[in-house]
Amino acid sequence: MTKNIIEIKRLVKKFGDFTALDGVDLNVYEGEVFGLLGPNGAGKTTIINVVLGLLKQTSGSVYVNGLDNTKHIEEIKRAIGMMTQETVVENELTARENLELFAKLYQVDNDKIPKRVEYALEEADLVKFGDVRAGTFSGGMQRRLELVKSMIHNPPILILDEPTTGLDVQNRTELWKRIRALNKEGITVILTTQYLEEADALCDRIAIIDHGKIKAIGTVSELKALVGTGNVLEIIAKPDDIDDIVKLLKKYDIDAVVKSDKITASLGKDSSRMFTKITNAIEDKKIQVLAISAHLPTLDDVFIKLTGGQIRDSTGENASAMTRARLMKKR
Amino acid sequence: MGLLNDTMTLYKREMLIFKANLRTNLIRSIMFPLIILLIFGSLGSSVKGVPVDVVNYASNPISVQFINTLQQQNVIAVKGITTETQALNDLSTGKVDVVVVILPGFPASSSESTPSLYVYYSNNYVNLGSSLQQIGSAAAIYGARSNVALQQGFVLGNNGVPPQSTISLNPTYGAQGNYSTFLAGGIIGMVVVFGTMFGGGMSIITDRQLGNLKAFLITPVERTSLVLSKMLSGTTQALISGIMLIGIIYLFGIQIAMGAVGVLWILLLSAVAAFGFSGITTTLASRVNKIEVYAIAAQTITMPLWFASGAFSPTSALPSWLQPLSVVDPLTYMTVGIRDIMINGYYPLATMGLDFAILIGFAIVATIISIKVFSTRVG
Repeated sequence: MTKNIIEIKRLVKKFGDFTALDGVDLNVYEGEVFGLLGPNGAGKTTIINVVLGLLKQTSGSVYVNGLDNTKHIEEIKRAIGMMTQETVVENELTARENLELFAKLYQVDNDKIPKRVEYALEEADLVKFGDVRAGTFSGGMQRRLELVKSMIHNPPILILDEPTTGLDVQNRTELWKRIRALNKEGITVILTTQYLEEADALCDRIAIIDHGKIKAIGTVSELKALVGTGNVLEIIAKPDDIDDIVKLLKKYDIDAVVKSDKITASLGKDSSRMFTKITNAIEDKKIQVLAISAHLPTLDDVFIKLTGGQIRDSTGENASAMTRARLMKKR
Repeated sequence: MGLLNDTMTLYKREMLIFKANLRTNLIRSIMFPLIILLIFGSLGSSVKGVPVDVVNYASNPISVQFINTLQQQNVIAVKGITTETQALNDLSTGKVDVVVVILPGFPASSSESTPSLYVYYSNNYVNLGSSLQQIGSAAAIYGARSNVALQQGFVLGNNGVPPQSTISLNPTYGAQGNYSTFLAGGIIGMVVVFGTMFGGGMSIITDRQLGNLKAFLITPVERTSLVLSKMLSGTTQALISGIMLIGIIYLFGIQIAMGAVGVLWILLLSAVAAFGFSGITTTLASRVNKIEVYAIAAQTITMPLWFASGAFSPTSALPSWLQPLSVVDPLTYMTVGIRDIMINGYYPLATMGLDFAILIGFAIVATIISIKVFSTRVG
């Protein structure tokens, strides 16, 4: 029986008139990697801020390790390591001083601090840079320092808020590797992301969140099954030809979704034969297509199906829920 | 215990940051007071040709010799020998800044308690320079009893042949006072207030902008210790600036009449005042998000308090509408205390009790408010 390490029930958070979280229900199992996937401003960071007591919930309940977040926030904070969205290190302090500072703030026993700090420096591959000011580090080094800093008190839960936003591919892969390694040691990892491939690559289960509501929750394959069975067909054509193609697909009992010049549809059980049939039919009718492809369903397809838009442009807002709420208040 | 430990941990962090930018921080804290001391501290020091009218009631050879001596001085320039009415008229219309009245019988006087020479001068220290000292020394040559009076006829000192210090007796700045000593006391107050502005509040705003504040808030640290560490760091930075300033004051040749013990008292006064003002700046920083707004708001609050405290001129010389502010301004009590120590050389128990009671009360209230505002506003 899997144990719920975090239980969130009917969580509502309002900023004035703006509802950032609209009745969120979710459970995180002990030992899994759980992903909160959604566009900017969907409410991912707000959920985390409420769990950590940085924001007070309007209603609903949050339990971490069976502890109520309105009553036992100190214990909860000690049980959670958190890496924030922006890379935050103490620029003027050395890597070692950074780690010592947070070890003390997390109330690590004084006699254990030196060992923990050395271990963390090794983990972050920063042993040589222990006495160098963190402000001089590259972005990747700072991110590594931040990760070990958030784990300095050896917490059972690690929360990563958009951990790879702004990192280059190499650093991102490196960070993914470390997250997987931490999870293998038994640490429950919760991460928010707007990158589908990241959720796909790391998470055991994913909650898709948009406009403060959970749209779907489940394992990656469960979510992909929502798109339908079989492969996904994608056709890009000239605007004039789009109608003809949609009509043609109708003949084969396929419902297509059109978005400007792109048609997507589920090919059903016998995907490869259906794909051949359609390509032949298009050729017979002498319709010019710019691209045609079939692929296994991705989280992108799930997202389009659930929210009616692509993750990158679904809201078009870069502002976080908090900032938006503040802007609304000012108006 | 948790509160104390957290506070000290965070305080250490603040000090490490201060140390990392030590040179900039020290230069910043000293530049402004140094410039003020350089420019205003020596106001009037190179004044030449102060216009003087002489009224000669004695009309004897010695009084003529005395006038000749006056005419040879470089700081004063004798404009005319005239009647007292005319001379005082010139003084009130600003044609002259000093009127020397030679009484009958000069250099002898009618009795022990009356002078043989009166000096009227306009209440304008900048224009006078060292003219009064020159008149005093010239009079001393002839063994005259002189007396210095303000234009309003306020008679001062009356004790025979005046030594230099008596002739330069200046009701505005205290018995031993000169303007630079007076000003130095006020600038210590300024350094304390400005030190807390940079040390305490400013860092809350940068911490919030860079996300460091959030990094602290996700740890089990108590919010109160965040505030207290900022206030302690502001106080420390203000004290460091204060110590440096006292060093500079010595280099300027300004004496602290009470000596080394006086320095300790000054630092103690500064520490209590700085802690209180740190409370004000952290409160402000908790409510303001932008560093620009903070800088403007902090100056709007601290500048009037600084002026009202009597840093530049005695509080009695302030415009009447500012007087009430100077009474409630905690900085006034610090400045008054410092002046007692620097100029008079002793700190009366009653004054000391009042000054410290008010400053400690202020510090306590400011701490409570700043903890309250910080915990409700930041998060």
